[in-house]
Amino acid sequence: MALSKDVYAEFEAIVGPEYICDDPVIMYSYHNVQHAAVLLPENAAQVQAIVKLCNKHKLQFRPVCTGWTGKFVPGMIYLDLRRMNRIIEINEDNMYAVVEPYVITAQLQAELMKRGLHLNVKGAGTNCSAMLRGHGHLDQSTSGDDRNHLAIEWVTPAGDLVRSGSLGSDGEWVSGDGPGPSLRSILTSAVPPGATPGVFTKAAMKIYHWPGPTKFPVVGVSPNYQLSDIPPNMMARYYSFPSTEKMWQAEIKLGEAEIAFELMGFNIAMVAANITTCNEEEEATFKRLSKEVQGPGFFIIVAGNSAADFAYKKKVLEKIVADNDGKSVRSLEEPRTEGILLCQCIRISASLRETFRPGGMFKSIPVMGQRDLTIRWAIGAGKAKEPLIEKGLIVDDGGAAFGWGVEQGHLGKTEIFCKFDPLNPVAQKAVDAWHFEQSDRAFKERYFALLGYRNEANATEEIGRELSNYHKWWNAIQKEFDPNRVSPDAGALV
Amino acid sequence: MSLEQYQGDMDMCCRCSTCKFVPLQKVGGFDFVNVCPSISKFNFHSYSGGGRMNIGANMLRHGFNYTDRLLDIVYNCQQCGACGVSCNYAMDMEVLAPITEFRIKCVSDGKTHPALDAAVAGMRETGSIVPPTGKRGDWAKGLKLKDATKEKVEVLLYIGDLTSHDAKLHKLARATAKILQKAGVDFGIAGDAETSTGGMAYEMGYEADFQTQARKNMTFIEQHGIRTVVTPSPHAYQAFKVLYDKFQLRGDLRVFHITEYLQQLLDEGRLTPTKRVDLAVTYHDPCHLGRLSEPWQHWQGKKVPGDRFVFDPPKVYRRGTNGVYDAPREVLGSIPGVKLTEMQRTKEYAWCCGAGGGVAQSNPEFAEWTARERINEAETTGAEAIVTACGWCANNFNAAIDAAGSRLKVFDIVELFEQSLA
Repeated sequence: MALSKDVYAEFEAIVGPEYICDDPVIMYSYHNVQHAAVLLPENAAQVQAIVKLCNKHKLQFRPVCTGWTGKFVPGMIYLDLRRMNRIIEINEDNMYAVVEPYVITAQLQAELMKRGLHLNVKGAGTNCSAMLRGHGHLDQSTSGDDRNHLAIEWVTPAGDLVRSGSLGSDGEWVSGDGPGPSLRSILTSAVPPGATPGVFTKAAMKIYHWPGPTKFPVVGVSPNYQLSDIPPNMMARYYSFPSTEKMWQAEIKLGEAEIAFELMGFNIAMVAANITTCNEEEEATFKRLSKEVQGPGFFIIVAGNSAADFAYKKKVLEKIVADNDGKSVRSLEEPRTEGILLCQCIRISASLRETFRPGGMFKSIPVMGQRDLTIRWAIGAGKAKEPLIEKGLIVDDGGAAFGWGVEQGHLGKTEIFCKFDPLNPVAQKAVDAWHFEQSDRAFKERYFALLGYRNEANATEEIGRELSNYHKWWNAIQKEFDPNRVSPDAGALV
Repeated sequence: MSLEQYQGDMDMCCRCSTCKFVPLQKVGGFDFVNVCPSISKFNFHSYSGGGRMNIGANMLRHGFNYTDRLLDIVYNCQQCGACGVSCNYAMDMEVLAPITEFRIKCVSDGKTHPALDAAVAGMRETGSIVPPTGKRGDWAKGLKLKDATKEKVEVLLYIGDLTSHDAKLHKLARATAKILQKAGVDFGIAGDAETSTGGMAYEMGYEADFQTQARKNMTFIEQHGIRTVVTPSPHAYQAFKVLYDKFQLRGDLRVFHITEYLQQLLDEGRLTPTKRVDLAVTYHDPCHLGRLSEPWQHWQGKKVPGDRFVFDPPKVYRRGTNGVYDAPREVLGSIPGVKLTEMQRTKEYAWCCGAGGGVAQSNPEFAEWTARERINEAETTGAEAIVTACGWCANNFNAAIDAAGSRLKVFDIVELFEQSLA
């Protein structure tokens, strides 16, 4: 598992002695796994040299940014990209920002807000890399996934440096698709198994107009931050509906009307988590809010470019909600609470309070697809949670899923959590079983197909057959890019 | 207290890295996003709050493996508590407490740092964590202060180790005493009888030595009928107010940092600054006056069985919320002519000066690097001076300013306040 002295010295020659370590204590601090070594490269050239060396010695490697999640097998070379943390460019004319992997979203967001600009914030949170691929609460106004990646500088698993899109043609970052090589589906994992092979060393992210203030007027001391004033022409509301169908119809109409800055299908348990500062308070708030909702709902932020624009958007919102029998949760309209939700959902993406705090761990089934279809699946997955809630094995969130429409709303993200205590083996086993059963049900009932939830050797084959044999194509592509199989199969850059 | 007690907290770490950054809503741009000096300097995750949680949890499970690297990680931490503030915005878990307990365990296992050994050995011998340069009460010569060892006083003015034994800082002690004299406060000093609070020894990992010092101090206080301690030292303030309470040694002693006391005197109209001090300043929150001075929360209980991390009785976490942030600003604001511009990182998420946790002794280069980061930040405000309320911060900033060739000046609040009194 440990590197030989000679191999260690080869890696050390690339990054310098200060930026490599194979001390066991360092390894366990990262992910409770014994890596071969941790390296902290400074630039793309060093990454390239490291990857080439991994190929030479047939060592698997894995790049990591802030490090939230990831699958790690013992003996890997761990690339901590912490030193690659520069904003290379914010191009206001062409609406993109070029960043290195360890620029966190909160940094880039703050710089953009000063300039009247914004970016897609991933659900994982603004503590994560600004170049992270994924979905977030702003998908209605900024879209999500690979649509926000423009040109990318990429070190392939074989150690080649590839510049995608316009960067590969004329050195400009403006487009991911050309002129120049478009590798979008490979670079951004549009195909399973969802891994980006190799290392992104720079990426241009699409940026958007920001109608809000250059800086939120946050007052108070942590964790009691709130806004001194709701910024002009902005509002945040939570609406509940008598049925899932009504909620979805409203979601669709909002997407078509293009009036939502943020549309997030929080369940009310997530709202309770985000407006409270500890678990005890959250539990009580969840119980209270559960009595105030009539059914499933969503959270929305409307932001106007002017008072007139805001008035128009607000009027459209009110009509759509009324047409679908939606009701605002009045206690969340109170300005202090509205301000907390407004700022937190934009600046943090609300992730930690609602995921890890209640139970210590969560397991999730996330899916991107036709929103009405995935909602129907999620209702079943939610019902399947109820026995676990009754037994006290997972946190009571009413069994609810969450999700949101992307762009005009027919496409959407749907996700369902089980939050639990990872040190409780009974809970862990029950959650694993739920996860397997609901993932399997999604495939067998033809809602969607997930990879990675089965361990059987024939699983990929069975699922792949139903998906145009994608796995054969992917394997062929992977063999070309990664002849020595040094880039692991699963887990995206986080 | 023990490391084992925090196993559940350490297991809660979800590896999100928020412990490395200022609270995310407070990120104001690309610069000054970091909050932890240790991870910022040494880069490997192990040096962050989260990395330390993972190390502690792992070693409790699999045994303690004291490599040189582990000890480097343990002793290169100012224990400033900023990681905990950022984490605890969202999470219910202790962060700084297990970090401190880990160091205490290192010391009890004999895995000490030679510079800290020397400092604590000196404290045992002299009653001061910094080497004495003369008699402890020399700073008070000519001020005709009451001797609290001989006379009954309402307030004990406790000066602290560094200010007592660093001639450059004597002006702070003298300014403090003069202000109290002007306000007509009935106070005295213990002079040579004053001894270290032990707070710094506690942060260095020497819990038994801390307790010895704490008992000495409380015995003195009880024997002399002292009800109130006022101190210009945030370290002493935090030790008396928080650590002594943690170990249930404080009794009903009232403890004030000088800025809190001045705020009271201002409110009561016993002091009125009238002389202009025309100066553009920025204020540095000392960790021990800010986030670390939050009152101790005595709690004993257990997790309620079931899905959630809730406790019976409910556990109140110290998240940095109730530190002393307003009093120093109000005192500064009372000085005619002083113009305060805040730095990007302030109050509960202020960047540490670098001197705490024994780092000034064990790794002066790291301490100075940390101070230089703060000086850079202070310079972006356009201030002529960085004002603080702690001798350790002041000394560390001056060292960084000298090394960097900065033109920034360093003042303690009491210096400026005293100048403003007619």
